[in-house]
Amino acid sequence: MLSNVVIDKILDAALSTGGDFAEIFVEDKTNSNIMLLGGKIEKTMSGRDYGIGIRVFKEVFSVYAYTNSVNEENLVHTALKAAAAIQDAKKVDRQELRNVTIENKIIPVCIMPDTINKHRKVEIMKRAYAAAYDYDEMITQVSVNYLDYIQKIIIANSEGLLVEDVRVRTRLSIQSIASGANEMQTGFFGPGASKGFEFLENLDVEGYGQETSRIAKTMMNATYAPSGRMPVIIDNGFGGVIFHEACGHGLEATSVAKGNSVFADKKGQLVASKWVSAVDDGTIESGWGSSNIDDEGSPTTRNVLIENGVLKNFMVDKLNGRRMNMSPTGSSRRQSYKYAPTSRMTNTFILDGPLSVEEIISDTENGLYAKYMGGGSVNPATGEFNFAVMEGYRIRNGKIAEPLRGATLIGTGMEVLKKIDKVGNNLALGQGMCGSESGSIPANVGQPMIRVSEMIVGGREGE
Amino acid sequence: MNELISKDLTEKIMEYGRIKGFSDMEVYYSEGENLTVKIHGKKIDSFNLSQNEGLSFRGLFKDKMGYSYSEKVDDTSIEMLVNEALENATIIDSDDKENIFEGGKNYQTIDHFNEALAKVKEEDKIAFALNMEKEALSIDNRIVSVQYCVYGEGYGAVSIHNSKGLYLADKSNLAYAYISVVAKQGEEIKTGMAYRVTDDFSKLNPKEMADEAVSEALSMIGAQSIRSGQYEIVLRNSAVCDLLEAFTGVFSAEAVHKNMSLLKGKLNTTIASENISLVDDPHLPEGFASASFDGEGYPTGKKNIIEKGVLKTYLHNMKTAAIDGIESTGNASRTSYKSSIGISPTNFYIKKGRHSLNELIRDIERGIYIIELQGLHSGLDPVSGDFSLSSLGFLIEKGEIKRAVNQITVSGNFFDMLHEVEMVGEDLKFELPSGSYIGSPSLKIKRLAVSGD
Repeated sequence: MLSNVVIDKILDAALSTGGDFAEIFVEDKTNSNIMLLGGKIEKTMSGRDYGIGIRVFKEVFSVYAYTNSVNEENLVHTALKAAAAIQDAKKVDRQELRNVTIENKIIPVCIMPDTINKHRKVEIMKRAYAAAYDYDEMITQVSVNYLDYIQKIIIANSEGLLVEDVRVRTRLSIQSIASGANEMQTGFFGPGASKGFEFLENLDVEGYGQETSRIAKTMMNATYAPSGRMPVIIDNGFGGVIFHEACGHGLEATSVAKGNSVFADKKGQLVASKWVSAVDDGTIESGWGSSNIDDEGSPTTRNVLIENGVLKNFMVDKLNGRRMNMSPTGSSRRQSYKYAPTSRMTNTFILDGPLSVEEIISDTENGLYAKYMGGGSVNPATGEFNFAVMEGYRIRNGKIAEPLRGATLIGTGMEVLKKIDKVGNNLALGQGMCGSESGSIPANVGQPMIRVSEMIVGGREGE
Repeated sequence: MNELISKDLTEKIMEYGRIKGFSDMEVYYSEGENLTVKIHGKKIDSFNLSQNEGLSFRGLFKDKMGYSYSEKVDDTSIEMLVNEALENATIIDSDDKENIFEGGKNYQTIDHFNEALAKVKEEDKIAFALNMEKEALSIDNRIVSVQYCVYGEGYGAVSIHNSKGLYLADKSNLAYAYISVVAKQGEEIKTGMAYRVTDDFSKLNPKEMADEAVSEALSMIGAQSIRSGQYEIVLRNSAVCDLLEAFTGVFSAEAVHKNMSLLKGKLNTTIASENISLVDDPHLPEGFASASFDGEGYPTGKKNIIEKGVLKTYLHNMKTAAIDGIESTGNASRTSYKSSIGISPTNFYIKKGRHSLNELIRDIERGIYIIELQGLHSGLDPVSGDFSLSSLGFLIEKGEIKRAVNQITVSGNFFDMLHEVEMVGEDLKFELPSGSYIGSPSLKIKRLAVSGD
């Protein structure tokens, strides 16, 4: 995509005003999207993202510039423009580029998605549609979205790093709508992986289609959730969004470095109940949030965040690492060349505990069981978070009882982590898109079933 | 205006498209430049600069519309653009027919490029942002840090060029600023923020924004949850905007046709209380989603969506309008060159009423004044209309604001709530533009379910 000679020139220009670190990120990405609605392919879009981002540091001051006009002249000009924000007589030498070859252990793609005719992708989408639509007469609409991409990147910096990588991802999302008299309810499933077309071929699309419609139908027959404080059991997989929001964002150096996180000064302290151990692991083979290297070119790692309730580590990127005097953890990420990278989650989950699902439920006299979660958000400074229950149930006398709709769970980070009093042994991951400072990126959340002894359930008491 | 993209390139793309069997074709192009300055700890923390461009091709192949895009805007992309669009067209099996527009008669002239803004000196922008942080840190010693302090500006231009001879182009610019502060008292931490968007740099007042963010953060100190129950609610203008934005999709004719909107079959019926009128006005002066043409090149125009509670029209593009046998409302959207034609509002707002905020509050025996709704991308379902959202606000007792409230959720159904608007404020406010520009005054709602302790 760019020759070493050009890369050299850009880095030289970027450091010409006294910057002490410069980096370039080159991205060439092909995207393909297909949207099916009501059994018919309604929309398709595919094409190519192409651009370059240039970053310059002077201590903890950073400049970021990007362009998609990638001729040599414009790139050098862009680097000079970025450098103009720094003025220091003391120049820092840079190291000669050393080409690092990375072994692709994490994204072993069998079938590149761009080698497959789109009609084959459509066939599979239609199978998902049929399974979801035929599930029940109550299902009145089903949409199926397919996406794949191949992202080729080059990262080079003034420390001599020159590395290339390829990321491939494939995802299928299904939404079902159930209708009654002047009322609709929805169900959603969106499995994805760092895999090629083999992911779709091996996916139980009928199973996912039926499950999506089952959720919508169940919610049609559900009553509104109650309100107030009660024990909450959150099942595995996407349920891990609780840790993602309640804690994960607060452990990103993005918030920690400037003291804008409730966890900022808590390293080595008890921040969760002793049952909680959690990791951010960018090395999981084919994981939705995995990659060989992060977007600064560092190898991804398995980073233990919390061990038996004690805060062990943060997720750290290069720039915030300077602020915190810490080494990067291989979790600096960005949506594209249009964003400067920063510390973000990859695949983040609570580890298995000792209990079976049956034990946790039968031990709970009364409360809410969240089978599937929707998304959520958090204010890292206050730790206040919220997330939505997609499919919920009342627990009565240690048994799962009637379905509940419309519940949102709220709380503050550390408080809820300390109230996790039971952890199951059925760890699973769920796929989502996480939006934050460096854009929207694929991230896995995950956990085994957990119980929070008390949480505020936002429902509609009295209806 | 000068051509944004070389005519030579667009002609070559359509020429190759014709050879490959496309009948009607269009090249949509956009370009932009952005600058962001972030301040932290009395210094510039980061500086972001960008220039970007992208091109989208769409064309009819055997009556099906195929799309493709590229950010590499040069001759090397021609084959890829045409071939991708061709393959994409062959998998479309929708019955709805999408067309390329031959052009309209009357295009409103809209000037939303401010030369003066383009000439503001860089040091003035930096000084503004530094000042804003300094002001925020000097107002009250409980303000311990500034989470975000940002000045940004952007220029953007788009053009549509098609094989039916239509050529349209438009450019605009704007500046924005926001600040979020952290207040600490004892162990309690609260945040507050303020934002502005303008095309006139001189209107940005650092002190005013700092004051607003700081007083919002301080006002939340001492906040506690509240007992669950049904409460009378006043929703602050900004909170209504957030809610309205999340539900704009239900007004799209496409959602209606695809059985994904509960407004299906509700034209000319009452869907809201009588004091609600909702307008989409692409020609609104100082509207940041103003446009003379939409994503298909169709001329835009003002229309009432809800008139005194009655639903008058859905939002249409050419495809949905043809299905209903009417004219497009000029709401075809092109979020970017990476998106196909959809439908979205422009400057979209609830008309202001007569009541001051004090009037909305003063007759409330026991209620809550909600100033912020959170988790809007997850805590609501645009299809069902149900929402349950984490909220911040103030307890109202006997017509007076008593104390701050947090750790609650406010739940209801958007479609039910529209019927329960009892009073409309006079404080029409718009939120930061995001393609659309959504506005609302504060609203007094008969009741909503609140969950807390």
